[in-house]
Amino acid sequence: MIIIWVVLALVGLPLLALGLYFLKAIVQGAVEGWREGSEESTEYELPAEAAALGLLPPERQNKDSSAPLPAGLAAAITAAKAGDWQPTAALFDETVAARAWERRTSACERLADVAAEDDAWLLAWETARPDDPGAALVRARSTVFLAWNIRGGKRAKYTTGEQFEGFHRVLARSREEHARAAALAPEGDPSPYVGEIWTALGLGYPHAEMDRLWKEITDRAPHHYEAHFSALQYWCKKWRGSEQLARDFAARAAAQAPLGSLMTAFPLIAHFEHDESDSADADRTPEVRALVDAALADAAAADPSHPRLPEVRHLLAYYLCLQDRDEAALEQFRLVDGYVGALPWRYKGDPAGEFCRLRDLSVANVVAASG
Amino acid sequence: MGATLRAVRALVLLAGFYLLGVVLLALLAGIDWLLYRYAPASVAVKLYIVSALLAIPVVRGLFMLRTPKDEEMAGLPVTEADEPELWRTVRELADRVGTRAPARIVLTADVNAAVSEDARLLGLLPGPRRLYLGVPLMLGLTQAQLRSVLAHELGHYANSDTRLAVLTVRGRAQVLRTIAHFEERADNTAARERARQEKKNAKAEARGKETQEVDEGRAGITYRAMAKIYIAYAKLYFRATLSVSRRQEYAADTAAARIAGRDATASALREIPVLDAAFGFYMGGYATLGSEAGLLPPRGEVFGGFGRMLTARQLELATLRTELATEPSSPYDSHPPIADRVHRIESLPADGRAEEAQGAALALLAAPERTLAALEDTVLTDEVRRFSRAGDWPELLAGAMAAGLASLNTPLHRALAFYTKDAPTLPALLKLIEDGQLWQLARRLPLSDQASAAEGRAFREFVRPALHDSLSSMALAELSARALLSWEFSWERAAVPHLPPAPDGTPTDLDAAVGAAVADIPDTAPLRALLTHHI
Repeated sequence: MIIIWVVLALVGLPLLALGLYFLKAIVQGAVEGWREGSEESTEYELPAEAAALGLLPPERQNKDSSAPLPAGLAAAITAAKAGDWQPTAALFDETVAARAWERRTSACERLADVAAEDDAWLLAWETARPDDPGAALVRARSTVFLAWNIRGGKRAKYTTGEQFEGFHRVLARSREEHARAAALAPEGDPSPYVGEIWTALGLGYPHAEMDRLWKEITDRAPHHYEAHFSALQYWCKKWRGSEQLARDFAARAAAQAPLGSLMTAFPLIAHFEHDESDSADADRTPEVRALVDAALADAAAADPSHPRLPEVRHLLAYYLCLQDRDEAALEQFRLVDGYVGALPWRYKGDPAGEFCRLRDLSVANVVAASG
Repeated sequence: MGATLRAVRALVLLAGFYLLGVVLLALLAGIDWLLYRYAPASVAVKLYIVSALLAIPVVRGLFMLRTPKDEEMAGLPVTEADEPELWRTVRELADRVGTRAPARIVLTADVNAAVSEDARLLGLLPGPRRLYLGVPLMLGLTQAQLRSVLAHELGHYANSDTRLAVLTVRGRAQVLRTIAHFEERADNTAARERARQEKKNAKAEARGKETQEVDEGRAGITYRAMAKIYIAYAKLYFRATLSVSRRQEYAADTAAARIAGRDATASALREIPVLDAAFGFYMGGYATLGSEAGLLPPRGEVFGGFGRMLTARQLELATLRTELATEPSSPYDSHPPIADRVHRIESLPADGRAEEAQGAALALLAAPERTLAALEDTVLTDEVRRFSRAGDWPELLAGAMAAGLASLNTPLHRALAFYTKDAPTLPALLKLIEDGQLWQLARRLPLSDQASAAEGRAFREFVRPALHDSLSSMALAELSARALLSWEFSWERAAVPHLPPAPDGTPTDLDAAVGAAVADIPDTAPLRALLTHHI
């Protein structure tokens, strides 16, 4: 009879072990679920002091933009989404007349993003006005966005061969389209070359080619913010350059620029892009304080309608807060509150949450100091 | 480790294999006895059958005491009267290596040279030897290189301590064969299970029910479990014997270098992997080009064409030669990595024989043309030999391409048939594009997760390459059906289709016309024009 018990034990014990394993998994799952549930209960609550200043909670922060869009641009986007290209065309013509290249590239970025999803309105525009420089500009930039939509935002490891192939094929087309936009561009307009920097970044133009592109731009507009922002990305270590190249580029741009051109933001961005430390000590050095001071003065002197001024304010608010200059930080936070689509928040998993967390710290410190 | 000790180890390892079989059989018998004593008869009978089935491969492994009289590989046996020069060379090499010459020479159709021996009594008594010599190898090597390869193979029989290596080799073969038996049975069981489930699904489908995924998971699992035991033993076996077999390879290389010259030996080692890859490419891209169309290259050219391709692609091959594999081809391979072997040979002192016997190895054959033709008769299957013969290579290409295009079935064909529930023809496709339905049709193509998740412009970019390729092929098929297409045959490059020029004499740009038809706003006019020009 003992044999039966041996056989039963041989069969039964593994089954028992399996049962215990499942039980353990179930209990673990339940515990985790319970913990997550309890986390949800610690939801963000807007501090009374912040509410008193009219500041907004994360769910009311706009993640797509660094500031309210100019009325003309917002209207053009709405019309384009509805298939009407006329307001966009009028907007682009107007920027040429005003020689407002900063606004032209900024509008181009927004509308190209719309066209990367659906370009029916752009096709209609191109059909109606075959050689329109504005349409050519939006076409080229939208192709860059389209390439990124195909590639997806995941790291190379999680991106398929089909996605990479599509990315390169489409991006290569954007190079030709930028060349066409440059040929059609009105005299003195750097916009097609600014857009081409993103083609250069994606395709990995050699440095020599990038320098050629850069000369085309600076010959036309020496202190164009978006051009510098885009080129700085190209020179960053994570793209086609190195930390040293990026810092040198940014320092040169800041040194040569007149006050109010916002070029002093770039040394700060170069610092931000290459700062891998976990503590804020690297952001509190006398050097970084001096960079923030320079950028503060620059922002104060800038044209209040400069389309990129809010982006600089976001950056200033972040560094002023980290440097415990809460009074000054709060001033910047109040000027941009309601919008979080800018550096440094854009790089975070929860931009609105991160913005509100630092803002509330500054609010609390200011209240404590005054109280 | 001395030769005696190595011999003892080889014997122990081989004995271990048989012991394993006996233990497994005893285990099965023991379980059966327990079942007989304690389990209800209905269950027991079922399990008896299982254990009997499991026992079969074990018993087969046990009783394959001698390697089966290996079936002589398919090939062309040549006598001394047929190939006096080849025989003389082989005899001379065997003599210089210091071993018996083979009794038979068989020419084969692969990139390989091997000497086998039907040794008797566990390899203790010598038996007749056979030399297998691949004609494609002779097409690619110089005489000096071939001498080196043959000296290497014969060298395996020269070392006195390799008599017992036969034991090692036998053990390896034995273990691998038993594993193969188990896996074959597991595969058969899985295949039966699969067929059964598919039949069930077919029935369910006929009744309009949801079909289940075919799952062959469990079938064959017992066989695989048994195979695992043997695989574990095989790993032990290979690890224990690897250093010996590697040493034997190095020794054979050294012997080859002494007899055939250092440079010829090193360059032959570099050449063989290149020839092997090139021959695979040749068979896929040239020799079997007409297999779908039932066409064979001209007589003598099935393997003879390999020589032409090698000559035409010298530049390409030269770059391949510089890349040496640094890893063994498989963990069970007894050969050290080629790179190691080449470096060992190349570090020998120069022997001043670099210029020796540079003629083609094929010249050792009395009448290469006749041999190449005769080889076809022995290695091609009857079915293949009944194919019709093309007059020359360009004719073979044209015939193969026309047949391929006539029976074209691209993903776009299948999508179109599915979408329209009608025959997938080019006119139907063009009509559909003109009706603005191309992108709806494209949704029926086989899509990756990313492509099917994409919308609008991104989706169009994802599917455009497949649309472009399929539509190009359909257009070529249309032109081919009207006998308007010619193909340029080349030994160096892929075949190129030539389209007739447009009526105004300008070259036809098929790519541009197809590109317009699958553009964001499709325009079929250029493609229609291209097709109608040539009516």
